[in-house]
Amino acid sequence: MYFWKCWRDTRSFFIVFLIIAAIVMPVAAVVCLGTHLVADFGTSAFSATFGLILMAVALGLGAIGAIHEFAENTAHFLFTKPRSRSYFVWAGWAVGFAELLAVATVNFLAGWLTLSRYSKNPFHSALFGSITVHTLLDPLLFCLWAYCLTYSLTVLLRNGLKGLGASMGILFGLPLFAVAIRWRWHIKLPFPPEPIGGLPVVMSSIIWILVAMLFVLAAQLFVEWTEI
Amino acid sequence: MNEVAIGTEGLTKTYANIHAVGGISLTVPRGAIYGFLGRNGAGKTTTIKMLLGLTRPTAGAAHVLGMDIAAERMAILRRTAFVSEKKTLYPSLTPSELVRFSRGFYPTWSDSAVEKYARLLEIPMKQRFEKLSNGNQTKVWLLLALSQGADLLILDEPTTALDPVSVDQLLHVLTEDGLDRGCTIFFSSHQLEEVERIAEYTGVIEQGKLLMESRLDDIKSEFRLITAAGNALPTQISSQVLSVMAEGNFYRYVVTKNAESFAAGLSQNGATVTNIVPLSLREIFLQLVRKEQ
Repeated sequence: MYFWKCWRDTRSFFIVFLIIAAIVMPVAAVVCLGTHLVADFGTSAFSATFGLILMAVALGLGAIGAIHEFAENTAHFLFTKPRSRSYFVWAGWAVGFAELLAVATVNFLAGWLTLSRYSKNPFHSALFGSITVHTLLDPLLFCLWAYCLTYSLTVLLRNGLKGLGASMGILFGLPLFAVAIRWRWHIKLPFPPEPIGGLPVVMSSIIWILVAMLFVLAAQLFVEWTEI
Repeated sequence: MNEVAIGTEGLTKTYANIHAVGGISLTVPRGAIYGFLGRNGAGKTTTIKMLLGLTRPTAGAAHVLGMDIAAERMAILRRTAFVSEKKTLYPSLTPSELVRFSRGFYPTWSDSAVEKYARLLEIPMKQRFEKLSNGNQTKVWLLLALSQGADLLILDEPTTALDPVSVDQLLHVLTEDGLDRGCTIFFSSHQLEEVERIAEYTGVIEQGKLLMESRLDDIKSEFRLITAAGNALPTQISSQVLSVMAEGNFYRYVVTKNAESFAAGLSQNGATVTNIVPLSLREIFLQLVRKEQ
């Protein structure tokens, strides 16, 4: 029921990006047939498109996932259903998260199969060097962060466009803010998925994931507290 | 019929310094149709929102189907159907998809009721909600509420945007089908004719205060408007005297019972009783609201 509704709202966007994720590398490989581009730079192209596609999906799903549910005029319909408000917040988030992971998986598999077929070494390019677990997990972590932030702001502002705008403002503004702080006070502010202080990478990643979850928790508390 | 479907005690909602609802005490008997009357902004919707847990009361208590609204909200919502004053729903979903969405929440959901009311109310089930006329959007809300198999229907101005034929169909459905199932119907309206046509009980709210609550039959048989002339006649409100309006030496009393004995009491005080007439719901409503103003 509610999961179906969330799927119904996001499926067009999801399917379009799933197709893009599946074909971008094979199409690039076919277009570049007869050249050495895929062999030399395929891995770099894959890394770049992986992050770009996931970012677009994270921002889009974050805004679409709660575009109508918590809006002024429709919240009274949803919140008079016999389920807790936290259920609605987390169910919507879970559907978007599953779709984000699905796009990431398809894009990775399509990229890997393509590079295996056309590249001398699918895990190494002349441009960026080798693909490591980090080059996959870092954009994934950042996109999870962006998704949770956008979803939470959409819930808090009760409007998809406002949520998307506010989230993009933060995502673009935060690095600039960090640079300003570093320039003025020589303090280095960490930005996801960078390691935090001297903590190990795994610990930093866990903290970034927890911060992302805190955004959704804040949205849940707001929805539970708010009066319709 | 002595069981209570909705009972409130001193239910209050304050926004900053505004008393949206100022301590109302309602009693809606189980299985009854109750018309909750009031002008726009009188406090009807805020009262309904508190009953459904959409808004927290500032003070007071309320029970719905014998359950406390603060502690047993989920259980109340499982057995209560609601039609909102704002008839907006998800724009891209069709009525069929809204049925699919709503069905899973309620174990008592009836697909045969969906078919029946969709046909009766002539709802285009395959058209997107945003493309439906205002009247059809209202009908979709009603369809979802009526198909839920609820013990209590709370309808906030359910006939908004409906044409006279649809209003007639809806009132017929509520009285025939609702009462057949033993369902309690609590509906707010400012359409006095609708309330008078189907309600057994009525409550009048104005500026957040419940001015009157009574059986409609009692209103017809007992309530009277007494017009009298005299000096310094009594102006106290009591269980017998619902309202008093004084203009110079002329007094207009709305009495709830024993109008003859009340008029006799006025005569003993030197008053000249000029008229004792029965009252319609419209006249009582206007008397009460004017007095408040």
